[in-house]
Amino acid sequence: MNMILVASLRVIAALGLMLLNGVVLIYMLRKVLGHLHVRLGPMNVGWHGVLQTLNDVLKLLTKEDPTPTNVDKVLYFMAPAIVFVPSLAAYAALPFSKTWAISNLATGLLFTFAIMSLVPLGVLMAGWSSSNKWSLLGGMRAVGQQIAYEVPLLLSALPIVLMVGSLNLNDIVAAQDRVWFFIPQFPALLLFFIAALVELNQTPFDMSEAESELVAGFASEYSAMKFGLLFLSEFSNMFVMAALIVTLFFGGWSLPFVPAEMLTPIGPPVIFMIKTYLIIFCFMWIRGTFPRVRVDQLQQLGWKVLLPANLVWLFVTGLAVKVIEAVAR
Amino acid sequence: MKIWGTGLLNGLRISMRNMRRGPITMQYPFEKYELPERARWTVVPLYDADGVPVCTACMTCVKTCPDHVLALDFTTNEDRSKHINHFSYQLGACMMCGLCVEACPFTAIAMSHDYELARTDPATLEYDLLADVAAYKPKRDKPATPAPVTPTESAPQSEPPAAQGGDAS
Amino acid sequence: MTEDSRLTVDAPDAPLAEGSYVPAALPVGLRRVPSGVDEVSTEHLVVNFGPQHPSTHGVLRMIIEADGEEVVGAEMSIGYLHRGIEKLAEHRRYNALGTLMDRGDYVSGIHGELAVALATEALIEVEVPEKAHWIRSLMSEVNRIASHLVWYGTFGLDAGGMGQFLYAVRDREMLLDILEAVSGSRMMFNYIRPGGVLADLPQGTDRKLLEFLDLFDIHIEEHDQLLGGNEIFQSRVHGVGVIDKETAIAFGLTGANLRASGVGFDVRRDRPYAAYDKLEFSVPMAAEGDCWARYAVRMEEMRQSARMVRQCLEGMPEGDFTAKVPKVLRPPAGEAYAAVESPRGEWGVHVVSDGTESPYRLRYRPPALFALQVVEAIMPGSLIADAIVMAGSVDLVLGEIDR
Repeated sequence: MNMILVASLRVIAALGLMLLNGVVLIYMLRKVLGHLHVRLGPMNVGWHGVLQTLNDVLKLLTKEDPTPTNVDKVLYFMAPAIVFVPSLAAYAALPFSKTWAISNLATGLLFTFAIMSLVPLGVLMAGWSSSNKWSLLGGMRAVGQQIAYEVPLLLSALPIVLMVGSLNLNDIVAAQDRVWFFIPQFPALLLFFIAALVELNQTPFDMSEAESELVAGFASEYSAMKFGLLFLSEFSNMFVMAALIVTLFFGGWSLPFVPAEMLTPIGPPVIFMIKTYLIIFCFMWIRGTFPRVRVDQLQQLGWKVLLPANLVWLFVTGLAVKVIEAVAR
Repeated sequence: MKIWGTGLLNGLRISMRNMRRGPITMQYPFEKYELPERARWTVVPLYDADGVPVCTACMTCVKTCPDHVLALDFTTNEDRSKHINHFSYQLGACMMCGLCVEACPFTAIAMSHDYELARTDPATLEYDLLADVAAYKPKRDKPATPAPVTPTESAPQSEPPAAQGGDAS
Repeated sequence: MTEDSRLTVDAPDAPLAEGSYVPAALPVGLRRVPSGVDEVSTEHLVVNFGPQHPSTHGVLRMIIEADGEEVVGAEMSIGYLHRGIEKLAEHRRYNALGTLMDRGDYVSGIHGELAVALATEALIEVEVPEKAHWIRSLMSEVNRIASHLVWYGTFGLDAGGMGQFLYAVRDREMLLDILEAVSGSRMMFNYIRPGGVLADLPQGTDRKLLEFLDLFDIHIEEHDQLLGGNEIFQSRVHGVGVIDKETAIAFGLTGANLRASGVGFDVRRDRPYAAYDKLEFSVPMAAEGDCWARYAVRMEEMRQSARMVRQCLEGMPEGDFTAKVPKVLRPPAGEAYAAVESPRGEWGVHVVSDGTESPYRLRYRPPALFALQVVEAIMPGSLIADAIVMAGSVDLVLGEIDR
């Protein structure tokens, strides 16, 4: 009984975090893009528009939700859930501090990647079932790019795993107490960052909802809260991916030269959140600046550049790890 | 030879520089842009120092208007003076080209600076600039310059038809 | 053999000839049914880009037949913004024609007004004062920068970028403020009239323009680096949408699109009007004919325009801003054609007068219409993403195309 209570509390905590994140990130996106584009962003609802997103969530909740006539009803209704649930589950393994995590999984990294790779399934379902040409093209593109980039994404995280020898995200953070991995693993960071942008459908790789080409891509036929779920999961994925980058390359919840004991209990999660939001700011900065890559270029980049580069770097890291081990012995 | 990717970084630098330049937004309903003197918006009638409209009902503007948004309905009295029944104006069809004002030989109309022209009732898009007034007699004592009424002040801002005492039809 | 007998032989239920071999029916499990796997047939997808679509620059409807991501056929369906400008012109007085031309190419209204004013002046044979010429050139170039900025921003939008549009619009806003101060309206200027211009430049225009130009000299380089220096953008436009010289000439392409295909024709230089024969400027050209060439040519044109605005401000003569023309123009019967170099190409106006106060017939040559047809021709074979970029690269303004 107690275990169930604890588990459900954790789920509720994750859900709360996700919703809160969604609201904050949407506001942040508007403000960051606004200021990048010499505008102001929302200003009128609340102080500097802080309540604007809340307003919009309310709008989405109370909005009429028309269903187009020819949609495949089952898939159409399931798709938002299928997109939403994995992005919620992906919060499970994130270590906000040494002890703060929804669940301390031994294979946290693997779990996060596995659960995130379910998202394109939902996107394809959304695109296919909407019986809309734009949606179909968007869904197809989404699946194509996600398949092409799952591999580079995983491969670019592998050098870290090689160095640490564990898939547990907490172990990975703990292994960075002396030097953050982005220094020895800078190429891996670049590769991971690019692959993460593709996974997230972020500019310059926002193929599946390329506005100037496909209007709204797979989400064209969705409205009200069904669209809200799709939208929310997008932002939640962004957070998860940024959190992974922080965990893998930027020392997670730790600070350099500051022992973790000094920061407890509230310090590490705050540090983690700040770092994550800085990474998200980089995502948004890129979004506000770059044009979009073409579909075939995306595939070429994935298969012809990222994959070989990843393999080479993995080889180099493996070699270095072995050499260092041999020297140390 | 440039290294691939420097352009991307440079782009990021430029967008950050633009961000630091600060927003240019003017939050419209709260702060307003000062229109230049020549800005053309609605057509308004002008009045002389005594508040009498200077329109002589010469019909030049009506003939000039490319979109036929002005209409003048007047009756000629026995003493050959004119009485303006309706000088009507279709705001909804007006494109604010200013040709009527240029054509007016007596400077009896002007382009105002009243640019907040949204209406909730389509019927109010057509209203009378002047209604039921005696036309100015140009020969009697010609006012070389009509009273220096700034167009913005004289413009019937929120209640266009009622302000001139005409009916709203 | 008659037609009828052949038909009966081919019909499936025709009686078999004597001794024909009739295959026995196979058992159900062995029967070959079309599974769809061994004979993959793909259907072409016909998608409507527009009339409501984020990247149609107005209300263009591109009917694109796509095989997956590849465009196999394209048809441009126009007319969604048709207002009958040419017919309306037959009921307007000559000095009111500018209002219509503004609404043709609403991004660069000055050029339309100028063309119709030039044509009318040719009919009424009036001598335009020198200052009016200079003001016309000045306003044309100011408007050209504004128009090219819109193109630059929307071209980037088509390629998927966002920032450059707002930076371009920020700069354009300053120009529109200046244009409003000069003409009284931000886009529908009605400023250039037969015989001259509506009014002299107001006090402080040159100061405002110089201020803008000082800023713009920095900003244009930023714009160029932000989009043109971006490797992603370069990979999107290099070699995409190639219009070769022959195609360009055969389709009647003009303006920057033509010059990007390696044909050096510029109305301003080759048939000078207004004060262009006294201005010093170079006509940028490129040979490749792809989207990158069009991009590069337009960016350079903006720099040249800025140069010309400076020259106009320096060389502005004293004198009248308009000739004495009657309020109601009644040109003698005849016809006249005048062309200007609008940001989109040669904007020509052909007016036929029958001696009354409004033209008997007016036709204008919308340069973007020709560009649209070229796009339609070169689009098949490209990807959907490229098709969008192509349509954006030739700078379409639908108001002008649909009339």
